[in-house]
Amino acid sequence: MHYQAELYGNYYASTVRQSAAVDPLERVVRLASGSAVVIFSLSTCCMCHAVKRLFCGMGVNPTVYELDQDPRGKEIERALMRLLGGGSSVPVVFIGGKLVGAMDRVMASHINGTLVPLLKEAGALWL
Amino acid sequence: MASHRGGQHVLSDSGPSRHHHISYAVPHTLHLPSNTSFINQEGSAFDFEIEELEEAIALQRVKINNNDEAKQTLYTARPRAATIEMFPSWPLKFHHTPRESLKSGEDSVCSESALNTLASRGDTCTATGHRLQPLLPPETQPQMEMVSSSDKPTTGVTESQLDAKPNPPKRRGAGSSSDKVLDAKTLRRLAQNREAAKKSRLRKKAYVHQLESSRIRLAQLEQDLQRARSQGFIIGGGAAGGNISSGAALFDMEYARWLDDEHRHMSELRTALQAHLSDSDLQIIVDKYIAHYDELFCLKEVAAVSDVIHLITGMWTTPAERCFLWMGGFRPSDLIKMLIAQLDTLTEHQAVGIYSLQQSSQQGEEALSQGLEQLQQSLISTIANGSVNDSMHQMAVALGKLTSLEGFVRQADNLRQQTLHQLRRILTVRQATRCFLVISEYYGRLRALSSLWASRPRENFIADDNSCQTSTVLQTLLSSRNQFSNF
Repeated sequence: MHYQAELYGNYYASTVRQSAAVDPLERVVRLASGSAVVIFSLSTCCMCHAVKRLFCGMGVNPTVYELDQDPRGKEIERALMRLLGGGSSVPVVFIGGKLVGAMDRVMASHINGTLVPLLKEAGALWL
Repeated sequence: MASHRGGQHVLSDSGPSRHHHISYAVPHTLHLPSNTSFINQEGSAFDFEIEELEEAIALQRVKINNNDEAKQTLYTARPRAATIEMFPSWPLKFHHTPRESLKSGEDSVCSESALNTLASRGDTCTATGHRLQPLLPPETQPQMEMVSSSDKPTTGVTESQLDAKPNPPKRRGAGSSSDKVLDAKTLRRLAQNREAAKKSRLRKKAYVHQLESSRIRLAQLEQDLQRARSQGFIIGGGAAGGNISSGAALFDMEYARWLDDEHRHMSELRTALQAHLSDSDLQIIVDKYIAHYDELFCLKEVAAVSDVIHLITGMWTTPAERCFLWMGGFRPSDLIKMLIAQLDTLTEHQAVGIYSLQQSSQQGEEALSQGLEQLQQSLISTIANGSVNDSMHQMAVALGKLTSLEGFVRQADNLRQQTLHQLRRILTVRQATRCFLVISEYYGRLRALSSLWASRPRENFIADDNSCQTSTVLQTLLSSRNQFSNF
């Protein structure tokens, strides 16, 4: 699991002109495509901790973005909330750039056996 | 005086015999015939005592007619009292006299006969045995009746009558009457006494019966209450000391209803299996069962919003279920483990599916448990680190963390629901029917175990109270075991 702390910094380094005007959702999509497994989380959220433990228990190495350590994290949180249709903003999981959902969707997909193939497809699991 | 009654034997309903015995009543020195005057000028205290007693009884039980005029002739010194006085003007002499065998039996003579005796003979009838037997002339002793009646009220009455001021007996009033008239009056009095005594006995019996049934009912109510409490069902306000929230109480009620439905579904599954229905029919029943569980998860979701701690502590479940409670419900991996042992006819594909379901449910459980643990740690540090200045803020933070418990219970219920749905997907219809029947029966047995546990005898000295509960529960269990054995 590796944490991207300098989200804004990286972003700014790569695209200077559009730094202020990028739609947070677009940022989300861009970040999500950057790794096989991406988790948007809050460091204080215990459910996020649970989802992290779930992936680590399966032997997956997810990329975690702690939104409370991002200066523009609030926007992303709001965007995520809109994406999920209300409720809590985190945790949100992307696998292979595709949205899986919040904790309940992740659990459901794991129980019905669709999560592991998805992980394998994204290259996060090799076994 | 009362000599004609003195020392009489117990019952004489018949005139002749009484007459016969009346002759005995007279002190032997006098040898008065039965139809002679009753005045015993020897005037022993005995006579007066007999007199008192007889009168007292008569007054107590029977409407006293106005025989005053006749009585006055006999007892000039004794004004007729309107009420019975409790204490005599002179004391009775007590001494135990041997009793002759009486017509109606000895110790167990009832108050009725006692009253009759008193009324007719003026015997000092003692309801409590020989305590109050007055001193009698020796020759009258054989006729002295000692009535030991267990009838307390009568005893009291009798004693009071013994102590009552003598009143001219009704019979006295017939000083100038013939024996026949006297007998009639006596007869009437006897009869009335008998009736009154009978009524008194019946009243007492009814009262005791009522007391007994009330006691039984109270014991049953207490038992029910204890059972309900042990299962955490306190319906209505304030029964558990007011520490159950309305959301929790509502959930408990709904859960009770759900349990009733569960029994219905279980029997439906059983009959469906035994009836060898077609797959489509079984499908319907299985789907209904899954929907039944979905309903429970909905109820729990609502309850989690209002009172998640009630769900987590498991006060809505039975004690044995509470032992194995995980995050407010059953542990899905335990259920799968139990099922793997029970379901034997699985294809390889199905077996793989079941085992991977077991693994994924275990991983889900582990993740949620770790998340909950982190929540606990965070809550502990929040509560511990609150400074005096910051206490309100810290409390607010702590409250927020406590609220996130709700999310965990919801996720746990989600895990359970998904597990059940996946089971349905892996198995064939017939297998699924059997599988859900196994699940239903398993929890039924667990609940029965809880009932047994709740009603087990805890101490020797209350074993009697609990043994009837245990026996009824055991009976239920045995009868349900027969049903289990079919499966």
